[in-house]
Amino acid sequence: MPASRTEDPKRAAGRLRRPALDLGHLPAIALCAALGLLLCSLDNGLGRAALQPTTLTYWAGLLLIALPIFYRLGSKEPSPGERLLLVVLLGLALYGVKVVRDSLLFNFPDELVHAFNAQQIVEHHHLYRFNPALPVTPHYPGLGSATSALMTLTGMSSFGAGTLVIAAGRLTFVTALFLLFNRIGGSARAAGLGVAIYTGSSNFLFWGAQFSYESLALPLLVVVLMCFVEREAAAPSWRAAWLVPIVLGILAIAVTHHITSYAAAAILIALAILYRVFELRAPNPWPLALFATVVAAGWLLIAARQTVGYLSPVLGDAIRAIFKTASGETAPRTLFHASANTVGVTPFPARAVALLAIALLGIGFVFGIRVVWRRFRREPLVLLFCLASLGFFAALVLRFAPAAWETGNRAGEFLFLGLAFVVTYGAAELLRAGPNLRRRRLLLVAGLGIVLVGGAISGWPWDVQLARPLKVTAEERRIVSEPLALAEWAKRRFSGHRFAAPEADARMLMAPGGQIAFGGQGPDVEDIVSTPQLAPWQLPVLRRHHLPYVVADRRQISSDTLRGYYFEIPGQEGEELYPPDVVHKFSKIPAGRLWDSGRIVLYDLESRP
Amino acid sequence: MRGHRDLTLACLAAILCAAMAVAVPVEIVRILAAVPLALFLPGYATLAVAFGARRPPTPTLLVASVGTSLSVLALSGLLLDLLPGGIETLTWAILLLALVLACCRGAALRRGPGRRAGPRLRVPRLARRDLGLLVAAAAIATAAFVLAQTPLPAGKATGFTALWMLPGAGERSVEVGVVSSEHDRRDYLLRLEGVRGQAPRSSRFGLEPGEEKTFRLPVSRGTAAHPTRVTASLYQVSEPGHLYRRVVSWMPRKKGLP
Repeated sequence: MPASRTEDPKRAAGRLRRPALDLGHLPAIALCAALGLLLCSLDNGLGRAALQPTTLTYWAGLLLIALPIFYRLGSKEPSPGERLLLVVLLGLALYGVKVVRDSLLFNFPDELVHAFNAQQIVEHHHLYRFNPALPVTPHYPGLGSATSALMTLTGMSSFGAGTLVIAAGRLTFVTALFLLFNRIGGSARAAGLGVAIYTGSSNFLFWGAQFSYESLALPLLVVVLMCFVEREAAAPSWRAAWLVPIVLGILAIAVTHHITSYAAAAILIALAILYRVFELRAPNPWPLALFATVVAAGWLLIAARQTVGYLSPVLGDAIRAIFKTASGETAPRTLFHASANTVGVTPFPARAVALLAIALLGIGFVFGIRVVWRRFRREPLVLLFCLASLGFFAALVLRFAPAAWETGNRAGEFLFLGLAFVVTYGAAELLRAGPNLRRRRLLLVAGLGIVLVGGAISGWPWDVQLARPLKVTAEERRIVSEPLALAEWAKRRFSGHRFAAPEADARMLMAPGGQIAFGGQGPDVEDIVSTPQLAPWQLPVLRRHHLPYVVADRRQISSDTLRGYYFEIPGQEGEELYPPDVVHKFSKIPAGRLWDSGRIVLYDLESRP
Repeated sequence: MRGHRDLTLACLAAILCAAMAVAVPVEIVRILAAVPLALFLPGYATLAVAFGARRPPTPTLLVASVGTSLSVLALSGLLLDLLPGGIETLTWAILLLALVLACCRGAALRRGPGRRAGPRLRVPRLARRDLGLLVAAAAIATAAFVLAQTPLPAGKATGFTALWMLPGAGERSVEVGVVSSEHDRRDYLLRLEGVRGQAPRSSRFGLEPGEEKTFRLPVSRGTAAHPTRVTASLYQVSEPGHLYRRVVSWMPRKKGLP
C-alpha cells in the first residue's frame, strides 16, 4: 500500500520501539470473569423478576469468575505484573457480583445508615449530623467525607458515589494485600494465592463490600501495613518518605471506623513489642504504635464518646453469651439458622460446602504453619499472622454462642488476613515440583473454589444471596415496593421530619427518604409499632422523642432489615401479617392517617380532633 | 516543574478535572473528571512530595496513590467542615486542586530543577487478539451491569395502591393523591368529605401502573377547638361496596403530641 511505503521512517521506528504489553492469559481470563458476572447478573435479574431462580446459575457464575484466576495464579508462568492484574480482576469482578445484586439502590441495612449520613453532609454542608439508626456513625465521618467529595463533584446520589468509593477501596484492598504478602514472603505466586484465599473470608463477598465504614477502613489498614513493610525493606535514607502514607492512613482510619482504628493500634503495639523481643536491627515501630494509640484514643475521647456506649453492650453480651453457652445455661446456637423465624434453614448441601471450606482452611493451616514457622519465625508481622490464624479458629467457636456469633463473624475479617498468609504456604505444598503437578494444581483450584463458595454461604443468609424485587416494571412503567413507595413519597413531601417506624421502613425513610426515622429499641419504637394495643407508656415515649409521624406496618417482615424492603411474593416467606389492630390502634386515639397503602399506614399524631 | 513530566501532567489533569467537575453540567463528564481528581491525583501528588527524587516501584506507587487519596478524602472533610462554606462542590474542587498543585510544586523543588525523575509516558502495544478479548470482556461486563440496572417485570409480586392526603399551605386546602403500583390499569372511585361548602364529593378515574393522580381541594377552616375533619375514601370500581383505602386529617393540626 502506498501509505505504508511512504511512512515516516522515524515514526515506524517509534512504533517498533513501543514496548509490547505481555498480558499472558489475562485477556481470556477477563472474558471468563465477564461471562461469570453476566451469569450472576442474569440470576439476580430472575430474582428481581420474582421468578425464584435456582442459585446454581449464580454459584456457577461466581466460580466462572474465580476458578480461571485461581488456576492461573497457581501456575509458575505468569509474571508478577500479570499476577497483580489477575488480583485486580478478581477483586473488581467479585465486587461486581455485589453491585449486580443491588444495582438500583442500597439495600443492606448498614448501607442505608451510611447513605443517610452522606446525604446529610451534602444537604447541610457539614459533618456530624444526627443519625437515628446508629448514632455513633456520624462521629466517624471518614466514609461520609469521602463519599460527599464524589457526590458534590459529580452530582451523583449517595448510591452512585458510595459504589465508586467502595470500588476504590476494594481495588486498594486486594492490590495492597498482594503487595504486602509479596514483600513479606518474597513470592508473587504465593502473594496471588494469598489474595485468592482471602476471598474465601465469609465477609469478603457481601458484608465487606457494602457501603459501610468498615469497608473503607479495612483497605486503609492493609495499605498502612503494606507501606509499613515497604518502609522496613527500604534503604534507611528512604524510610521517612513512607511515614507520610502510613501517618495519613492511621489518621484516616481513626476518623473512619472505631474497631479498625483499635486493630491498627493493637497491631503496631504488638509489632513494637516483637521488635523489642527479637532485638531487630530495623527501627522499632513504637513511635507509630504510640501515634496510632493516641489518635484512636483521642478521637474516641474528643469526638466519638458514644462509641463506648455503642460497643460495650455488644462486647459485653458476647462475653456473657460465651460463658452462658459454655456453662450450659443457654443452648448453643444452631449454625446456619437465621434469627428471624420467618426464614428457612440453609439447605444441607450448602451447609456441607461451608463446613468443608472451614475443614480445608484447617488443613491448609496445619500444613502452612509448619512452613511459615520454619521460614519466617523471626518476622514479627508473620508471627502476628500466625496468631491471627489461631484466633480465626478460636473465633469460630463464638458462632455457637447466640449473642456472640456476630462478634466472631466480624472479627473474622481481620483475622483472615493472617490466616490467608499461613494457608498460602500450606496450599503451596500442593504445588511442589513432582509428578501429577497438573492434577494437584486442579485439586488446589477446586479447594479454593470450595473456600470461596463456603465463605459466601456462611457469610450471608442463604435466602438473600440473590436480589429481590424492589423496583419492577408493569406494562413498561416503573412501580416500586410498598416501603420504597412510602420513602419516595416522604422524600418529595417532607424535609427531615421525625418518624417512628418498624426498622426496615425506618431505614428506607432515612435513605432514600431523607427523614429522621427511628426504629428498633432506642427509643423502643419496635414495641410501639408491633403491639395490637396502645400501652400507656407508648404515647409518652413518642412525645418525649417528638415523633409525630408513626408508620404502622402489618407485615411482620417489616422488622427485618435484610428482607423488609421488597415486594411481597405470594407463596414465599414473609407473608405473615400482624393482627389488624397493630395498625388500627392509632386510629383509636384518634389521629390523622396520611398514607394508606393497604399494609402500611402513616399516622400524624398532631392531626387530631 | 519543567523537566518533571509526571508532575506537569498531574497538575494539568487536576486543573482540567476540577474545572470540568465544577463547570460542566453533564453527570457522566463530571464523573470522568471527579474520579481521577478525587481518587488518584491527591495521593500521587502527596507521595511525590514525600519521596522527592526517589520513586517506589510503579505498582506500589499506584496502589499507595489510590490508598493515600482515600485517606486524604476521609480527612479533608474535617477541614472543610471548619470553613464557613462547609462541604460543597466548589470547596472540594478548590481543596483537591490546591493540594495537588502544592504537592507537585513541593515535589519539583525536592527533585531539583530539570531532573527527569518522572517516567516517560509510553503507551505499550497490545496484541490484536488480546485487545479483542479485552473489548469483548468489557462489553459483556457492561451488559451485566446494564441488565442489573434495568427494572424487570415481576408479575408474581403483589401490587398495591396508595392513597395519601396532606394539608396545603395555611391548612385551607388539602392535597389528596392516589398512586398505583398495581400491575395493570385499575379504575377507582374517590370520595371526599369535609370539602368547603360542598356535600361529599366523588371522583371516578383510572390509573395505569406507576401513575399518580392528585387533587387539591379547599376545606372549611376549623379552629383549634373545633378542627375540620377531612376524609378521603378510595374504592375500586370493581368492588364499590368495599372500602379499599382511607386517609383522614384534622385541620388545623395541634401543637404537640397527645
